Amino acid sequence: MSQRGEWGFSFPVRLKMIDFARVQKELQECSKDVEESGIKVSPKSDNLALLIGSIPGPIGTPYEGGTFQIDITLPDGYPFEPPKMQFATKVWHPNVSSQSGAICLDILKDQWSPALTLKTALVSVQALLSAPQPDDPQDAVVAKQYLQDHHTFVGTARYWTETFAKASSLGVEEKVQKLVEMGFPEDQVKSTLEAVGGDENLALEKLCSG
Amino acid sequence: MEDYASSDEDYYNQYEADDLVDYDDGDPDIDYTVASLNLGCSSSKVITQESLLAAQREDLHRVMDMLSLKEHHARTLLIHYRWDVEKVLALLVEKGKDELYAEAGVTVVKCDEFFLSKISSIITCNICMEEVSRKEVTLMDCGHYFCNTCWTEHFIVKINEGQSRRIKCMAYKCNAVCDEAKIRKLVGARDPYLAEKFDRFLLESFIEDNKRVKWCPSIPNCGNAIYVEGDELCEVECACGLQFCFSCSSEVHSPCSCLMWELWSRKCKDNSETVNWLTAHTKFCPNCLKPVEKSGGCNLVVCICGQGFCWLCGGATGWTHTWQSIADHSCGRYKDLEMKAARAKRDLVRYMHYHGRYKAHTDSFKLESNLKTISEGKISLIEGRNSTFKDFGWVTNGLYRLSRSRQILSYSYPFAFYMFGDLFEEEMTEKERELKQNLFEDQQQQLEANVEKLSSYIEEPFDEYTEDRVDELRLKIMDLSAITEKLCLKLYECIENDLLASLHHATHHIAPYMSKGAERARGMPS
Repeated sequence: MSQRGEWGFSFPVRLKMIDFARVQKELQECSKDVEESGIKVSPKSDNLALLIGSIPGPIGTPYEGGTFQIDITLPDGYPFEPPKMQFATKVWHPNVSSQSGAICLDILKDQWSPALTLKTALVSVQALLSAPQPDDPQDAVVAKQYLQDHHTFVGTARYWTETFAKASSLGVEEKVQKLVEMGFPEDQVKSTLEAVGGDENLALEKLCSG
Repeated sequence: MEDYASSDEDYYNQYEADDLVDYDDGDPDIDYTVASLNLGCSSSKVITQESLLAAQREDLHRVMDMLSLKEHHARTLLIHYRWDVEKVLALLVEKGKDELYAEAGVTVVKCDEFFLSKISSIITCNICMEEVSRKEVTLMDCGHYFCNTCWTEHFIVKINEGQSRRIKCMAYKCNAVCDEAKIRKLVGARDPYLAEKFDRFLLESFIEDNKRVKWCPSIPNCGNAIYVEGDELCEVECACGLQFCFSCSSEVHSPCSCLMWELWSRKCKDNSETVNWLTAHTKFCPNCLKPVEKSGGCNLVVCICGQGFCWLCGGATGWTHTWQSIADHSCGRYKDLEMKAARAKRDLVRYMHYHGRYKAHTDSFKLESNLKTISEGKISLIEGRNSTFKDFGWVTNGLYRLSRSRQILSYSYPFAFYMFGDLFEEEMTEKERELKQNLFEDQQQQLEANVEKLSSYIEEPFDEYTEDRVDELRLKIMDLSAITEKLCLKLYECIENDLLASLHHATHHIAPYMSKGAERARGMPS
């Protein structure tokens, strides 16, 4: 939109806003076939700009059996600018930073198209788990291991999946009990677990640091 | 022409007798610079804000005619291939039309509005997932259609991202570049100011994505750009009067290569003021090689690194001293360190040698620009006396040769600094370097001596001379003008053929010798 200024010249007024109507529709679409795809997207809070996605580890890969949480931040220009995604669950993969969870994927950068959706982007992330691209790595250490010592790579990736991506398979009660046994007060354990979305490892980290 | 030739400086005039071109004494109008010296005949044009559109029209029309394309398709193609029409044509032959277009994102298969009219009047936009009426939908050449609001939003994001020149269709994996007219229309309806910016970006692609065109680097900026038709390694003069090296956009610096000039100007920036002071007031610490200033006291100086040294000989010493002697003071003991210090010192001295001469010629070049006004004053005095001299072309030409030679001489010093310094350390043996350096310095000295002579002749108060003496001076100046020109060319030949051409690893090219200096770019009709 454009406004005519006091002195007669025009200057642009742009209030960039996320297209929340579309995000709502995307969430609905996604929940329709969650049984089939296993891909979930849900808002972190009331604010639709922060979401959390989750994808099942592809069958036949070291990630099989794990559930991977992905933090999604929508920029103001969404869907005309790509969503920002990064793994919240630790994952051992050449194209994902083992430190920060940052993902190296073209459609999240210059190949993004407004016609893509959060779900299609998550499907691409899932496909990346099945088909790593070690020549275009995000994590050089992992990529080197992938190329030079594949056996160890598979082992590490599987171990990380077991350790970090399966934790939430425990029931809430069991998790609470486990953490209480470690010596944290029950109230604090419960609230912390809730705050981190039920991930006991994250909760432990938070309890230890705080 | 000969009275100075008979002097004891014959050495510097060895070219005059046999090598000179004949010139007609009776007609000083003839410019007796050797015509063939104009080696790189690149012709350049000035592109102003107004002529920017006209400048690209020729290239656009060539492509439009050859491939029977619409203007916006031709522009997309040329932007993709960096305005290299020859390359577009070569690729057309090599790969064929389809691949050429596909790579650049040009879709010529026309999906017209008729296509839209066949589908229902209410359409779901795949971006916002809203239902909109057919009138609110825009179809691109590639066949993808979305609602106008989403297109507009997409265009605005892309323009603000600085991607105006290649806004692609919104469909996933569609490589087609959107029609600029449709972009202009949709963006203009929302934000006319941004639409204008979009147009400007498209136009300026001709300058920014084109190896034949460069912005003039003048400060304050004149807003012009220069288009070069021939070799891009050349020096040009913009309509605003600034001369610059087309290849690196810094000041003219031939016979220095662009890399040498870059290194040199950075070095001078770091050094200029300090170097003089440092050499006058400090000595290098024999341990850490930092320059140390003696603030007072005895000759035992202790550097910040803890090393003591003798202020007199610069040699490393211990810390204690008596009235007569300093402990451990022995100049021979720390040979290795001493050599390091000596090397650092030699490097500095070497730099100062070259910088001093570079600066001297640059300064003379600036001072001699006043000579023009002074000489014009003298000429008008003579003319006022109703002298038989009617033509003073020899003064103008002499002045011009003087300033050109000064320019070349001053840049020949940074050239020599790098040519015979560490930049090409591995390219030649010590012996080769010495030989080449001698060869080069001979040329340089000859030019230098003649330039100084030319300078002194031109400064002579010829307005007070008798006509015979003026005539004598005229001959001398004409002669020296031709000699210096010849020597400039020889210096370039030496640099290009004997020095740079023999490098094995590095490749340094220099803007070729131009008798008349940087070429003044022609204006263009807007």
